[in-house]
Parts: sequence; C-alpha cells; structure tokens
Amino acid sequence: MKHFLYLNWQSARQALVKILRQPFGSLLTLLMLSIALALPLSLYLTVSSIQEWAGRLTATPQITLFMEQSAEEADLAAVSSTLTKHPRIQSYSFVGKKQALSDLEKRNGLPGLSDGLTDNPLPDAFVVTPKTLEPHELEMLQKELSGLPMVETAQFDARWAKRLYGMVEMGRQLTWFLGAALGIALVLVTHNAVRMQILARRDEIEVAKLIGAPDSFIRRPFMYHAMWQGLLAGLAAWGLTSWLVMTANPAIHEFAQLYNEAVQLRGLSPVELLVVLAISSLLAMLGARLASDHHLRQIQPR
Amino acid sequence: MQRMIQFDQVTKRYPGGNEALKNLSFTIDTGEMAFLAGHSGAGKSTLLKLVAGIERASSGSVIVSGQNLSKLRSSQIPYVRQHIGMVFQDHKLLFDRSVFDNVMLPLDIIGFDRRDAARRVRAALDKVGLLAKEKSMPIRLSGGEQQRLCIARAVVHRPSLLLADEPSANLDRAYALDIMELFKSFHQVGVTVVISAHDETLMEDYGRRIIRLKEGQFAA
Repeated sequence: MKHFLYLNWQSARQALVKILRQPFGSLLTLLMLSIALALPLSLYLTVSSIQEWAGRLTATPQITLFMEQSAEEADLAAVSSTLTKHPRIQSYSFVGKKQALSDLEKRNGLPGLSDGLTDNPLPDAFVVTPKTLEPHELEMLQKELSGLPMVETAQFDARWAKRLYGMVEMGRQLTWFLGAALGIALVLVTHNAVRMQILARRDEIEVAKLIGAPDSFIRRPFMYHAMWQGLLAGLAAWGLTSWLVMTANPAIHEFAQLYNEAVQLRGLSPVELLVVLAISSLLAMLGARLASDHHLRQIQPR
Repeated sequence: MQRMIQFDQVTKRYPGGNEALKNLSFTIDTGEMAFLAGHSGAGKSTLLKLVAGIERASSGSVIVSGQNLSKLRSSQIPYVRQHIGMVFQDHKLLFDRSVFDNVMLPLDIIGFDRRDAARRVRAALDKVGLLAKEKSMPIRLSGGEQQRLCIARAVVHRPSLLLADEPSANLDRAYALDIMELFKSFHQVGVTVVISAHDETLMEDYGRRIIRLKEGQFAA
C-alpha cells in the first residue's frame, strides 16, 4: 500500500516536471483548455451576479387585494383569517379606507381632499407578501386570492419581475449548455493530447508491456499528466475570469449608478474555485482514460 | 520433477492462414536448461511468444508454472510475464534513458522498494559486467554490451523462467560463448532457461536437451 502510494506520488511528480520542462509544448493545450473553461465560468458569474441583484429587487413582490366597496367588518375578518392561515403567505398588512385616504392626502400634498368628497372612494386593502418568488406560483396565488369572497381584484405589483426572472433563467440555462458543451470539448482536447503522447511513446509502451506492465502501470503517467493539465487549466481560467471581473467592474458600477443601483460582478468563491478545479481535472482525466483505453489496445502485445 | 512449461497439442495459426506451430506437445521441467533449434521460420520465436503470453495458441493448451495461459483473461497476462525474464534478439532497450534506468524498469513495474531496487539493479549490472557504465546511454554501448544489458534487465527481478530468443544471433563466437556462460550461471542457481538459436554448434558443447523444430513440428 505504502509502495502503491509512493508510485503514484512518483508518477504525479514526474508528470508535473514533464509539463514544466516543456512549457511551450503544453502551453497551447493549456490555453485551449483554460479558454474553454473561462467562457462558461464568466457567463456563470454574470448570471449569478444579475440574479443576486434581482433577488434584492424582487425580494418583496407584493400582491395587493382591493376589497369591494360594500365589504363589511365580517368580510374583512374572514379574508384576514384566510391570509393568516395560508401556507404560502409570509405576512400581510391591512390598509383601511380612511388610512388610505389620509396617506393619499399626505403623499400628494392635497390636504382637504377628503373634505370635497361625500364618500370615501377608496377601498379597504390587504398588502400580501408571499413566501415564493417564482413567477408561476405568484400568478397562481394571485388568482386564488382574487377569488376570495368580497375581493374585487388582486393586483400583482411586480409583473416586470417575471420578465427579469425569465431572462435570468435563460442565462442560467445558457450557462449550463455552454458548460456542458465546453466540458465535452475539454474531454476531447485531453483525449487528443494523450493520444499523441501514447503514439509518441509507442516503443516505450511496447517494451513495458513485454516485460509485464499491466495497463494500469502504463496508464498512470498519462492520467497524472491530464490531471495536472486540468488543474492548471482550471487555475488559468480562474485567473482569466478574475481579470475580467476586475476590469469590468468599474464600468458596470458607473453604469448602474446612473440608475441608482449597486450592481457588481462577483468573483468565484473559494468553494466554487475548488469545484471548478475538481471538475476540470476530472474531465481531463476522463479524456486521458478514454484515450489510453482505446489506444493501448492497439499496441502489441495486447 | 515439476513442470515449468507444458504444451498440449498446441497449434498456432496466424491471420492469413500461416501455421507457425502444428500440434506440438512437449514439457520442460523446472530448473531445466533447454535449447530450441531450427532455421528461421521454423517456429522458435512463436513458441517463445506463446510461453510469454505475447501470442495466444489457436488450439491446444499452454501451461506455464501451473497457469493455463489459454484460459487467462488478457488483463491477467502481465502478471504472468512478471515472473518471466525475456531476452530479445533486437534487445528492445529504451534509448531515452540510462543503462541503470533500463534495468530499473521491471522493478518499477513490479513495485519494488526504491532503495532495494537500486541495489538489485547494480547487482544485475555487475553480473553482466556493465556496472561501470550504469550512467551511460544504451546508444553508446556496443552490440554485445546491449545484449548483456538486455540480459541484466531480464534477470533483475529474479524470474523463475528465462527465455532468450536468438541471444547470440549478431555476435561473434567469443562473445556468443560469453553470453552462453552467463545463461548457464543463471541455470546453476535454479532458473529454468530456454534459449533459441539457429546455430547448433554453440549448443552442442553444453550437452543439454535440444528441441529441434522444422516448419512448426519436431524435426526428425
């Protein structure tokens, strides 16, 4: 066991030394891999930054219930108790007719407005804060609430949030699609790189096989080479996206200021970086494994 | 006496229909030293390849130290080969690494402790008289030295069976005798040795069993 670990450590070290010794040979592959990683990563960061910002905006999408003019105390109490018990409603507040009118007077600077009116034309209203942010569920809730007795309309205040949500969702799906497509590209690029290495070291592999090397022994250096390449490409992609975030942020900030918004592109968190490094090295190793399984079989003796 | 190699009605047919071995049965005992004789194309190399699991028999069974190679999965064959030392006619050395590292390769494959391995490599090189050249590259060695390097690599992991395919083919007689003496010394410490050659005069001096092949069968 100790020896097995030692052999692996040895292979890992030799593979890294090999990459570092021929930086230009590996550079092209590395560049290809890191760009393939950087594209979906930057999109992911953009989308998640927008999402974060949008989350702050639509954190309180509210549904306002306007009651019929003829609604009485008992009706209000009934609606109030329904809202209290409803599982998908976080909180609600009641705005009575009189309060609404006085608010209106204050806000619009029209004191004495009510004096000219014989009747208060404003309805009683409930302002409801739902638990969900998801547009479809919000719509369902709105429909359900508008069907309550003596409720005239249920108005959904943030209809535009639905569009924003849709855009973010589209961006997220695009990220996944790009991520998957370029992940496959990463596998193929390492597959090809390892294939070339195997062909270049055909003699060595043949001799090793002749004197009893199992496939795992022959595969090991290629697997470690791919692992390092994936890891380095992941780091390089991280560098690229960090550079993008740093250079783009001042411009984004300035633009957002015009709308009194604080929008910022965020960088990768340490956990996300670890996940990216793990995925990129695993994908590279997958490519190496596929290539060696395929090409080692073609070298005699089998 | 235990049997190291046992062939039972072994036929080897190559793709294209060429029959290299025809219904061959024989045994070689553990600790025996035997020669394979015959012209090129008689089936000597094919026979050795079947023993090492490099080729598989078309029919019949090849049993090497109790293992029926015909029944092993190809993923198990490498572990059989780890108990065999092979000397190749074309040496099959690796020219991108030193003499020392060439001999180290079998120990790396088996997974030998690195420090013990270095000691063993030097012992093997000493045995074939190449200890002084451990840091040289194989390309700088003469033909005879390359052959001896190949022998050092074949015995460094102390195999119980040593196969040599035409080890003296391209060497002059004095050198060839040297190499035969080397094989004899391995035989004396208990290794089963099988040597093929087309030049029978070298073998006759040793008074060992000679298996003569002709067109894939025993020659009369």
